[in-house]
Amino acid sequence: MLKLILKEEDPTEGEVFVNGYELSKMSRKEIPLLRRSLGVVFQDFRLLPNKTVYENVEFAMQITEALPKEIRRQVPMALALVGLSKKAKAYPNQLSGGEQQRVALARALVNNPALLIADEPTGNLDPETSWEIMKLLAEVNYRGTTVIVATHEKSIVDAMKKRVIAIDRGVIVRDQEKGQYEDEVKNHQIHY
Amino acid sequence: MKLRTTKYIIKEGFVNTYRNVLMSLASMGVVSASLIILGFFLVVTTNIEHNTRFLKEQPEMQVFCNPNMDEHQVGMLQWTISRDDRIESFEMVDKAAAFEKAKEMLGEDKEILEGLDESIMPVSFIIKLKNSRDYEEVVEKFKEYPGVDSVQYSQKAIDFVNKILRILQIGSSALIIILSAIAVFIISNTIKLTVFARRREINIMKYIGATDWFIRWPFIVEGIIIGLVGAFVSFAIIYIVYSVGGSGIKDGMAMLELVNMGDMSFQLISTFCMLGAFVGALGSVISIQKYLRV
Repeated sequence: MLKLILKEEDPTEGEVFVNGYELSKMSRKEIPLLRRSLGVVFQDFRLLPNKTVYENVEFAMQITEALPKEIRRQVPMALALVGLSKKAKAYPNQLSGGEQQRVALARALVNNPALLIADEPTGNLDPETSWEIMKLLAEVNYRGTTVIVATHEKSIVDAMKKRVIAIDRGVIVRDQEKGQYEDEVKNHQIHY
Repeated sequence: MKLRTTKYIIKEGFVNTYRNVLMSLASMGVVSASLIILGFFLVVTTNIEHNTRFLKEQPEMQVFCNPNMDEHQVGMLQWTISRDDRIESFEMVDKAAAFEKAKEMLGEDKEILEGLDESIMPVSFIIKLKNSRDYEEVVEKFKEYPGVDSVQYSQKAIDFVNKILRILQIGSSALIIILSAIAVFIISNTIKLTVFARRREINIMKYIGATDWFIRWPFIVEGIIIGLVGAFVSFAIIYIVYSVGGSGIKDGMAMLELVNMGDMSFQLISTFCMLGAFVGALGSVISIQKYLRV
């Protein structure tokens, strides 16, 4: 489903609306605009290995042709938010998994998206760092960004006490405020 | 595109060229090898054109009068020639001069001419035309002039030289196309290797929302850098080889007049740079295309 939101794949039927874009009517040229309006965090971080932490976050702003002044203001702010100001000059392979995911989060947030999508953000992390990431996501949510997390980690879902949408083979089977993890098969999980 | 983006793209292009220094060197080698072959052809063509230029610029013919023509008739002919405005200049070869020349040409066999005097020799005019286009008309005119025995001219030689030049020109044009195609193919393959190594990176960039051109441009810059360096290297090699080897050839053949390298430099370097940059950029675009479809 996250692939549909990013227009990596097209739906076999029906329509997808994201941030006011109607995806089925979108041309290839407009896809970058859609993706810029979203912040995305992936399970495997997807940082650019040849760039430092700072440059990775900066890159998300460079592609939008933001003003250098704006970049110099926003990037340190985003890094401070995830608590990585001190590691700005490090390269991704010098960081732990949790730190890398925080860089990815900073990159996703630097353009102030209205919607933040996290695809198994804790999938590659140990429970403690997972929890740190989730706290950050909660913080982001608190500041007014919609956050969608796809996960099948029971402990996280239970601890967050947020709205839970359970999907089984492409069908929404449950939509519940302050939900818990239940066994009718996990959260967003369709494309396997 | 905004200035800061341009700056970013150029910087990124240079950084990438440097980062993949071995690949870049390999591509530069391919570009300069192709350009050297091409440059060799261009230099040879230019030299042949230069050495046969006089045939085009100063078309010559020689009009021979009947030896029995009297001085008055010769004077009439001379007057006619001098009045023809298609003729650049002319030179009269009188009987005495023709006799001397004949003796000279016969060399040791000059006793054949013994007992004869210069009166058997014809008076002739060596005529230079302004324009080779008028050749046939002028030849026809003087052939029919009363008292003229024959008109000799070098039309065949001119045709021959022109034919060779045309073949060389077509040959070098074909060569440009073939070599460019080969260079594009090899460069796109070389860059494909670096692109392949960086496909994940390209993928990530696309996911964050970079446009195709934002990703493509640094690769194009990289291709252009490779092309330009290749162009300069091949120019330097041709320059040195021509300067050293050219004088050797010149000593061997006295008649040959070599074109000064300085006169060709601009033409060569500009051709090389344009081709190199074009080939490099095209190679980049081709090789990256596949990975942009995310």
